[in-house]
Amino acid sequence: MDIQYMIEIFPRFLLVIPITILIVVLSAIFGLMLSIPVAAIRIRKIPVLSQMMGAYISFTRSTPILLQLFLFFFGLPVLLQLIGFDIMKIDAITAAVACLIVFNGAYMSEVLRPAYLAIEKGQHEAAESLGYTPFQKMKTVIIPQMAPIALPGLGNAIIHLIHDSSLVFAIGVVDIMGMATIMSGDTFGMKQVEVFLTVALIYWGISMISEQLIRLLERRKKKVLKNTGYKLKEEEAGYSV
Amino acid sequence: MFDIMTVFESFVEILKVVPKTLLLALIILVLSFMLGAAITYIQSLGIPVVKQIIGVLQSFLRGTPNVVLLYLVYYALPLVSAWFLGLFNVTLDPSSLNSTAIVIVTFSICYSVFQSEIIRGALHSLDKNQIEAAQSLGYSTTQTLRKVIIPQVMVEALPDTMNAFLIIIKALSLAFLVTVVDIFAQARLVGAQSFSYLEAFVAAALVYWGICVILTYAIDKLENRMRRGYA
Repeated sequence: MDIQYMIEIFPRFLLVIPITILIVVLSAIFGLMLSIPVAAIRIRKIPVLSQMMGAYISFTRSTPILLQLFLFFFGLPVLLQLIGFDIMKIDAITAAVACLIVFNGAYMSEVLRPAYLAIEKGQHEAAESLGYTPFQKMKTVIIPQMAPIALPGLGNAIIHLIHDSSLVFAIGVVDIMGMATIMSGDTFGMKQVEVFLTVALIYWGISMISEQLIRLLERRKKKVLKNTGYKLKEEEAGYSV
Repeated sequence: MFDIMTVFESFVEILKVVPKTLLLALIILVLSFMLGAAITYIQSLGIPVVKQIIGVLQSFLRGTPNVVLLYLVYYALPLVSAWFLGLFNVTLDPSSLNSTAIVIVTFSICYSVFQSEIIRGALHSLDKNQIEAAQSLGYSTTQTLRKVIIPQVMVEALPDTMNAFLIIIKALSLAFLVTVVDIFAQARLVGAQSFSYLEAFVAAALVYWGICVILTYAIDKLENRMRRGYA
């Protein structure tokens, strides 16, 4: 064990952390945006589309993310050529982000769907009887109640996303893991344990920080809801989360 | 550009490694279950320092991706075991460790944390009165465990455990990094032979999808059947 060396290489990892964060943030935001229509289609049970979304969710759940990354990396150019774009090869980061967006769209839609279905029908009817437009209803009645139910699941999705993003080095993105594989070659295989221990500590740190941020958000949401007199489902059931 | 026949040929090639992958996943599942049970037991004892150490270990295992852990164990385990065996004057060549063994060790440790959570959850769902009733009937500890606790906890833990099995099958796709050939690694090999990576990966995706659909169906059936006895 060479602690000195671990401290020495740490700054080099700091340079590539933004790439990991960029991939995670982009896929989280666009994944959430994708998951909303997917969840809506599944909730409304629109005939053909609903089955297609069911197959899409089942596919992304049952194949390893590594395989999906490779499918996107090799498959996206072929698909684009079929539509008429003449691209021989796509950027590894683009493929990685596209893949993680598609993956998260499915994952998060399965978080949002039960959260939406957990809202009582009476809430919809009450809002409608007060003359709310569908948009107003969602904004002021449904989403505030969905949030505390969906937030833990979405938080989990983000943590999973951070972990999954460590696989993008397999298609050639130089993120934290990519840097580590380059570095373990630099030292002629002498200090690999130190390199990967540093990487493990960095990921541990990132996961802990994001976990705390999600906790903070959850707590704030709960406080707001408590002030408005809303009772959380689990409080009624008699246990706390 | 995209050839259906190649997909079919790769599919047949990939099917050959499915039994090996399933066996590996099963070994990992059983080992991680036993480790998880041990962790749950140690935690329930509540020994001051040990409890904190396990807590930190759990947080570490949950906070780091599997790839990183796999690489870490891949490079560290031979050194650590050589050093450890050196204490007993047994010399071990660090490079002689089988990479399959390393994959099994890594994933067993990784998933033991999740398994311990599953076991704890299942134990919580068990009514305390059940144990008291068994004791009042004069059952010994082993008898209570065998006849009352385990049958009920097993039904509770089954869905999550099987879910873990599917997760392990998927996680094994990382094993190609340390040269263990599972479904995904086989797809890479098949693809490399004919320069038709896309077809090979599509075939591999279909294999994974098929395995998951079949297993999910089987688990649902099994769970319904086991629950019937207690309904």
